[in-house]
Amino acid sequence: MNHQPETFADQVRAIPGGEHLELCYSCGTCVSKCMIQQKVEPEYNPRRLLHKVMIDLDQEAFADKTTWLCSACDLCYPACPQQIHISKVIGAIKQLAVEAGLTTYLQTAVVNELTCVACGLCVEVCPYEAITLVETSVMFRGKAVTVARVDPNRCMACGLCAASCRSASIGLVDKFSNEAVVAELWDWIRSPVVEVTA
Amino acid sequence: MVDAARHPKVDIRTYTEVERVDGYVGNFKVLLREKSRYVRADRCNGCGECARVCPIEVPNYFDMNLAPRKAAYVPMSQAVPLVYNIDLDACIHCYKCVEACGKLEAIDFSMKDKLVWEDVGAIIVATGFSHFDPSVMPEYGYGRYPNVITAIEMERLNNTAGPTAGNVIRPSDGTNPRRLAIINCVGSRDKHFNPWCSNFCCMYGIKNAVLLKQTYPDMDITIYYMDIRTPSKGYEEFYDRAREMGIRFIQGRPSMITEDPETRNLFVHSEDVTLGRVIEREYDMVMLNQAAVPQPDVDTTSSVLNVTQSPGGWFMEYHPKLRPIDSPNDGVFLAGACQGVKDIPASVAQGSAAASRAGRILHSDQWEIEPIVAVVWEDRCVSAQGKKCGICAKACPYGAIEYEQGKAAHVVTAKCHGCGGCVAECPHNAITQMHFTDAQILAQLHALLAERPEEKILAFRCHWCSYGGADLAGVSHFEYSSNERGLRVMCSARMDADFIYEAFRLGAGAVLYSGCHPQDCNYITGQRLGAARAERLMKAFEKMEMTPGRFRVEWISAAEGDKYARVINEMQAVLNSIPKEKLMEEIERLRPEMEKRARRLREVPQVEEALEYSRQLEIAMVGEEA
Repeated sequence: MNHQPETFADQVRAIPGGEHLELCYSCGTCVSKCMIQQKVEPEYNPRRLLHKVMIDLDQEAFADKTTWLCSACDLCYPACPQQIHISKVIGAIKQLAVEAGLTTYLQTAVVNELTCVACGLCVEVCPYEAITLVETSVMFRGKAVTVARVDPNRCMACGLCAASCRSASIGLVDKFSNEAVVAELWDWIRSPVVEVTA
Repeated sequence: MVDAARHPKVDIRTYTEVERVDGYVGNFKVLLREKSRYVRADRCNGCGECARVCPIEVPNYFDMNLAPRKAAYVPMSQAVPLVYNIDLDACIHCYKCVEACGKLEAIDFSMKDKLVWEDVGAIIVATGFSHFDPSVMPEYGYGRYPNVITAIEMERLNNTAGPTAGNVIRPSDGTNPRRLAIINCVGSRDKHFNPWCSNFCCMYGIKNAVLLKQTYPDMDITIYYMDIRTPSKGYEEFYDRAREMGIRFIQGRPSMITEDPETRNLFVHSEDVTLGRVIEREYDMVMLNQAAVPQPDVDTTSSVLNVTQSPGGWFMEYHPKLRPIDSPNDGVFLAGACQGVKDIPASVAQGSAAASRAGRILHSDQWEIEPIVAVVWEDRCVSAQGKKCGICAKACPYGAIEYEQGKAAHVVTAKCHGCGGCVAECPHNAITQMHFTDAQILAQLHALLAERPEEKILAFRCHWCSYGGADLAGVSHFEYSSNERGLRVMCSARMDADFIYEAFRLGAGAVLYSGCHPQDCNYITGQRLGAARAERLMKAFEKMEMTPGRFRVEWISAAEGDKYARVINEMQAVLNSIPKEKLMEEIERLRPEMEKRARRLREVPQVEEALEYSRQLEIAMVGEEA
């Protein structure tokens, strides 16, 4: 019956989890509940992202930081009066973005393949199922070596893998690398004590 | 209420519960429980001496428990009749009230509840609504933070006859709030609690804001809303007036309220949707506009009155557009919010309408009903032969069939609406429906499948929904297969399994079993009866290894013409996909089984005989030659 071409909203709705998209009536509860909005990125706004999808602004939705930053903590899910599983809708949008060839702008975890022993601890702890063990050829080590590999589109750069790795072979880079964190810790310990008055 | 009580023809029974309702339209018998007040209404003059001496204080329910009342009390100052009442749960039996009452001797602790039967012609249900308890929403902190109050509590605070004589104060410290937030849609438009819009809260919140602004011009009032709904006459103008008065409106549903433990001030966190930014504002007091919900005892009321409920627990009307005042039970009318959330003008309108609908019954000697009622062939009813049955009584959605073992089942004609559920359910074909007799339907069925039945799609349609759907498909020019043949009955409950078997015995290519959606059924639970039967049929055909899709069950409303056309076309596609010889072979293979199952149908009286019978019945009922 319906001969209209498939819109961007249709594509999102076709992915499991995205089907409740249209129920959103823009009350803003999710936005004021969100910890990422409060602590990380003031521009973060799931309500606006859902609305962008509803009016088929696919490029704007892909460029929105909300698409990439949702950590699926699901604080908004029980608060939503329309019971929309917002993190799943955002997941569906992200999936489409990845299919369109985009990648996350986050600094995701990186594996040092020279030292990785493929114990699988990071695979177990990763909350986003972003890490898998693969057989690959590693320079200096051989043609078929099993190492951990990070899917950058799933990784949310939480650092749990870095904290659990026993050979320090996996971790974040730049600001959140092991060295940077330890250096910051030392700075904090050596900093002069300030008298706290009530 | 005081005015109504003075009217010579109005008899108000307060503190009385309806225990049981028997009879039918125009002839109801109602059992009332007049609860004992422990004060004799004929002696009490309402002086209030008993309350003055009573030493017990309990929270006053009428003041939303913001103020105390005595154990001897009147629920409110406009109570009818103005008779004091002793709350025996709180009373310590000191009998000071008996002394205070003195010579009047109105207080009588030996009083018992009184049960009285009353004859009534019509019943109007106006049980109203209740309020959602916001303490189940921890994010708003109602019950934890003293300065978060509900709209009804604000109503009492802002009432000159209320506990504070109209002085709006913060419960935490007794000061007047300077900044007030009003939050709309608390518990309504929320799928966790109540999905409906509570209709009047927008206006109600604005009204409270305007009233407060008039009393306290310096008060800073902010209303948090998702959508402002002001659809009725003069409402939008009132909303304009509120904005002109300086009341602030913020679009956004607050996600949480936090409290400063020292000042007891409140912080409301929400997104300002128009700004697209999260804001946090400080207030002295927060008022929650909570949802309207059905009365907690709605289940008891609906079972006593045999009135069904719509989703959510509101009473079901006969028809949402054309008969919004009548309940499906004749002679029982609905008025006000018990039927669905509505504001005062709509409730008054519905109340007046219900009164005039009831008056129509009270002023007439005769009551006209549709002539399609069920009648029992008493010589065929197995109950008359002393066997245990009662299937018809269980099937009837209206309780119109009186069944007693040893006597033939009896249909209370005034209660019967003619769904035909009992007729189809009766395993002995001992009940028939006038104008929809088995013989008549069978004759239609034979005519429709007279020629090349294997190409036909026989569609059983219910009068109210799927027949309307088929009609709409025609009116809207939705094309569907011309092999469809429609057969109308009043309800899917009338679609006897025997008819389906007979249709397949005659070699029908496909059969559609269609009716209303469960919540739309015109005959309360008729559709459910039909749906249960359709499920049994479906299983039986599966066992017989009939090609799936030849028997199809669909619930199609009168507005779904497109669905009707689609279903018929899909069935045609199924028929097209079966090779002709294979279909003929299947029909022949199943014919003996169908013949066996439909055998009782041949025992039903033929058309002439049935017509003669209903003519005689008509004469017997109307009492004259037609």
